Amino acid sequence: ETLSVVGSWSGLPLHKQYEAPFWSETLPAASGGNLEVALTTHDQMNLGVGDVFRLLGDGVYDVAMTVADYAVADAPELEGLDVPLLALTADEARAMVDAARPMVEDIYNTRFNSHVLAIAPYPPQVVFCNAEVSSLDDLQGLKVRASGRMTAKFLEALGAEGVNVAFSEVPGALQKGVVDCAVTGAGSGYSAGWWEVSTHLLPIPLGGWDSVVTAVNLDKWNGLDADTQALIADTIKAEFEDPAWASAQNALVSDIACLTGNGECASGDARSMTLVEVSEADFEKARAVLVDEVLPDWASRAGDDWAARWNDSVGATVGVTVMAK
Amino acid sequence: MIGYLTFGLLALLSLSIPVGIVLFLLGFGIDTFFSPFPLMKGLGNLVWSTSNNATLIAIPFFVLLGEILVRSGIATRTYAALDRWVSWLPGGLVHANIATATMFSATSGSSVATAATVATVAMPQAEKLGYDPKLFSGAIAAGGTLGIMIPPSINLIVYGFLTQTSIPRLFLAGLVPGIALALSFVVITMIICAIRPSLGGERRFFPFSEMLRALAELIPIILLFTVIIGSIYNGWATPTEAAAVGVAGAIVIAAIFGGVSLQMFSQSILGTIKITSMIMLVVIGASFLNFTLASAGIGRELQAFIGGLGLSPLMTILVIVCIYIVLGFFIETLSLMVVTIPIIVPIVVEMGYDPIWFGILMIVLIEMALITPPVGLNLYVVQGARKSGTMSEVMLGTIPYILAMLAMAAALIVVPEIALFLPNALE
Amino acid sequence: MAEAILVRLRTANRWVALLVGVLLLACVAFVLTDIVLRQLGSSLGGTDEISGYVMAIATSWGMGYALMELGHVRIDILRSRVRARGRALFDLLAMASMAGVISLIAVRSWPVLERSLANSSRANTPLETPLALVQAPWFAGWVWFALSTWLTFLAAAWLVSRGEFERSEHAIGTFGEVDALK
Ligand code: NA
Ligand code: NA
Repeated sequence: ETLSVVGSWSGLPLHKQYEAPFWSETLPAASGGNLEVALTTHDQMNLGVGDVFRLLGDGVYDVAMTVADYAVADAPELEGLDVPLLALTADEARAMVDAARPMVEDIYNTRFNSHVLAIAPYPPQVVFCNAEVSSLDDLQGLKVRASGRMTAKFLEALGAEGVNVAFSEVPGALQKGVVDCAVTGAGSGYSAGWWEVSTHLLPIPLGGWDSVVTAVNLDKWNGLDADTQALIADTIKAEFEDPAWASAQNALVSDIACLTGNGECASGDARSMTLVEVSEADFEKARAVLVDEVLPDWASRAGDDWAARWNDSVGATVGVTVMAK
Repeated sequence: MIGYLTFGLLALLSLSIPVGIVLFLLGFGIDTFFSPFPLMKGLGNLVWSTSNNATLIAIPFFVLLGEILVRSGIATRTYAALDRWVSWLPGGLVHANIATATMFSATSGSSVATAATVATVAMPQAEKLGYDPKLFSGAIAAGGTLGIMIPPSINLIVYGFLTQTSIPRLFLAGLVPGIALALSFVVITMIICAIRPSLGGERRFFPFSEMLRALAELIPIILLFTVIIGSIYNGWATPTEAAAVGVAGAIVIAAIFGGVSLQMFSQSILGTIKITSMIMLVVIGASFLNFTLASAGIGRELQAFIGGLGLSPLMTILVIVCIYIVLGFFIETLSLMVVTIPIIVPIVVEMGYDPIWFGILMIVLIEMALITPPVGLNLYVVQGARKSGTMSEVMLGTIPYILAMLAMAAALIVVPEIALFLPNALE
Repeated sequence: MAEAILVRLRTANRWVALLVGVLLLACVAFVLTDIVLRQLGSSLGGTDEISGYVMAIATSWGMGYALMELGHVRIDILRSRVRARGRALFDLLAMASMAGVISLIAVRSWPVLERSLANSSRANTPLETPLALVQAPWFAGWVWFALSTWLTFLAAAWLVSRGEFERSEHAIGTFGEVDALK
C-alpha cells in the first residue's frame, strides 16, 4: 500500500524534525514494509494554503497536514481550535487541543471528507514590535501585521490597526514603519531575522498556537483494514504527536532566549530584543476583550450549536464561556 | 518521467500548440501515466490560487507602466537621448538598445515588459538605419532581461516570498550585478563590432552640446525611478505596492512630459491585457504542471540526485547552475523559480551559502532562460515587435549576450561580494 | 457568417479588455489610497487580498482578448515551413487543443465555486470576503474564454473548409505572420 502524503511548510522545524522522518522512515519501518509513503509538501506543490484540505477531501492525495487556521474559510467553526491567549504553555495548549479533538474530528468528517490523525503545534504566535511597547495597551493605534481572521480581529479589538503584508516583506515593513508590530512564531521570527528590525518582544500567544492538523482522506481510511488503521493511529501518536508536543515548551523557552538573550539559546547566537513582561492586570483586560468581543463574534460566524459544544469542551478546560450575541 | 517530459514538450511545442496549453497537456499526461491520484480534481483550485495572488498583480502594473511610457512618447525620447550618448561606440545604435533597456529596467519589475518597451521604440530605427537584425534584436531581448535584475524586480519579489528573505536586501544585491551585466553587454557588443564592423551599422557622432541637451529627456525616467524605489526605501510601500505607485507615477509623468488622451489610455490598457494574459496562461499552466510533477515525486528525484552525488559545495553549485541552464530552455521563468526554489534553496543554504547571493545567481540564470529557445518569452516579445524576419534571427543574436551572462554567473561564484557588498555595506 | 461571428467576438472581447483595464486602474487607486492613509496613521486594510481577487478576475476575463489578438505564444518552427493549407491545419490543431483545455479548466473551476457556495466560505481575513462573490466572476471569465475559443475554432474551421486560408490565418494564425501580411 502506498500513501501519498502532503506535508506542512517544508522549511519549518515541525516538518524537518518530525513529519519528514515519521512519514519517510518511522511509519514504513513500523509497518514492516507494508506501507510505502510518497512525501511532498504543500509549498513544494505550490498549493494555495486554503486548498490543502479541500483537495484532501477530493482524494487528490491520501494524507495532508497544515495549519488548521488556513482552512477556516470553509469551516468558521474550526477557528475554535486555536483561540489566541487561552493557552500560555504547551501543556495548556495540548489540553485545549485534546478537548477540541472530537469537535475537530466532526468538522473534518463533514467539511473535508477526512479523518483526523494527529494535531501538533507550531510554536505560539508572539508579537514583534519595532516600537516602544511596555503593555498591551500600547498596541492601541499601532499598525500590526497579523495573519488569520481571529488574530486580526482580536488585535483590532485591542485598538491596533490591521495591515496586510506578506511574510517575506515583514522585515522591510517593520524597518521602514509600514507596520509597527507583526505576529509570528518566535522561532520563525528568529530564523527570518525579525530581531534585526524590531526592538520589543511580547512573548504571549496573541496569535494562538497555530495547530497543525494531520488528516487522511475518509474513503482511503475506511478502505484500510483495522490492523493498518490501528498501526497508523498508534504510531503517529507515539512517534509524531507526542514528541512534537514534548519539545514545544522547550522550543518556546529557547526561541525566546534566542531573541532576548535571557537564557540558553539552542539555535545560534542570542539577540537582545527587549522582553515585555505582560502584567496580570493587562492580561486580564485583554482576556476580557477576547471573551466579550472576539469570541461572541466567532460564535455568530460558527453558529450557536458549535459555540455550545465549544463551551462544554474547550471552554470548560480553560474556564471561559462564550456568550452568543 | 524526465524523458516523457522532454519528448512531450518538444513534440507538442513543434506542433505549434500554444505554450501555456502545452504545459497543461503535459500535466494531464503526468496525471494519467505517472500518478495514481486524480490530480485533475485539483485543476480548478490550482487555477484559482495561482491567479488569486497579490504578488502577480505587479505584472500587469509594470506592463501598463511601460505601455504608458511608450504611448506618451517618453520612451521614444529616452531612446533618442541615450542614442546621442552611446552611438559613437563600435556597434552604434545597438548600445542605445542596451542603455535604454538598463534605464527602463530601473523602473520596471518585469523583463518581458522591459523588452516590449524597448522593442517597440527601437525596431523602427533598426530598419531606418540598416542594422544587422540579428545583433540588434538580440541586444533588445538580452537587455530586456535586466528588468528582473536591476530593482524593482517581480522575480526577486517572488524569490524573497518563497525563501523568506528580505526583498529590499535582494533589490540592493541585484543593483551592482545588474549594472555590471549591462556593461558587459556593451563590451561584448564593442568587441563583436570591432571584429565585424558590418554587424554594427553606422557609428554616429553628435556634438557635445546636443548630448548635453539630450540629458533633459532623461528627467522623466529618472523621476519615475526615484518615485518607485523611493517609495520602497522610505517605507511608504511594499515592493508589490510600488508597482501601483509606478503606474500612478507614469500617468503623472506622461501628463507632464508627454501627453495623455483617452485614446492613449485605451491603447495602453489593451496592450497590457494582451501581454498579461499571454504571461498568465503560461504561468498558470506551469503551476499546474508543477503541481502534477510534485505529486509524482520530481522533487524527491531531484533532491536524491543532488544529494546522491556527494559533491563539494562548489561542485554542487556548478551542478545546480547546469540544471538551471538546461531547465531554462524549456520552462517559463516564473514557474521555473516556483518549481525549483523550495527544492534547491534549502540544499544551497545548508551548505553555508548566503540565500541573498544565491537569489542573484539564480536571477542571472533566469535571465538566460528568458532568451534561450524554445521557451524564452523575451524572444517572442521581440519577434512580436518586428515586422519581418524569422525567430531564429533573434535567437542567434542573443548568443553573445548569453556568453556574457555565463561570465557573470562565474564572476558571482568566484566573487560573491559583487552581490553582497552593497546590502552589507548599507546595513 | 463565420466572419460575422469573428468580428462580433473581437468587438466583445475588446470591450471586456477595456473593462478589465478599468478594474486594474481602480486597483491602482485603491492601493495608492491605502498608502496615503497609512502615512496619516490609518488604513483601508485588505489591499493584498483585494489585489489578489482583481488579479484572478482580470486574468480569466483578459484571456479572450489575447486570443483575438493572437497573443498566446506559439512556436512556429515547423508551421512556418509549410504552405497555407498546412499552416491552416496547424492552426486548427492548436485552436482545438486550446478549446479543449480551456473548457476543461472552466468545467473544473465550477467545483471551486460550488464548494464555496456550499460552505458559505468566507476569506480567512478581517474582511471576511464571501469567496463565492469573487469566485463567481472569476469562473464566469473562464466560461466566457472557453466559449470564445470554441466559437473561434468553429468559425475558423468553416473558413478552412471553404479554402479561405488567408482569412482563417487572420483569425487563428500566429501574429508574426499576420503582421507580415499587412
Ligand atoms: Na527592474
Ligand atoms: Na528558455
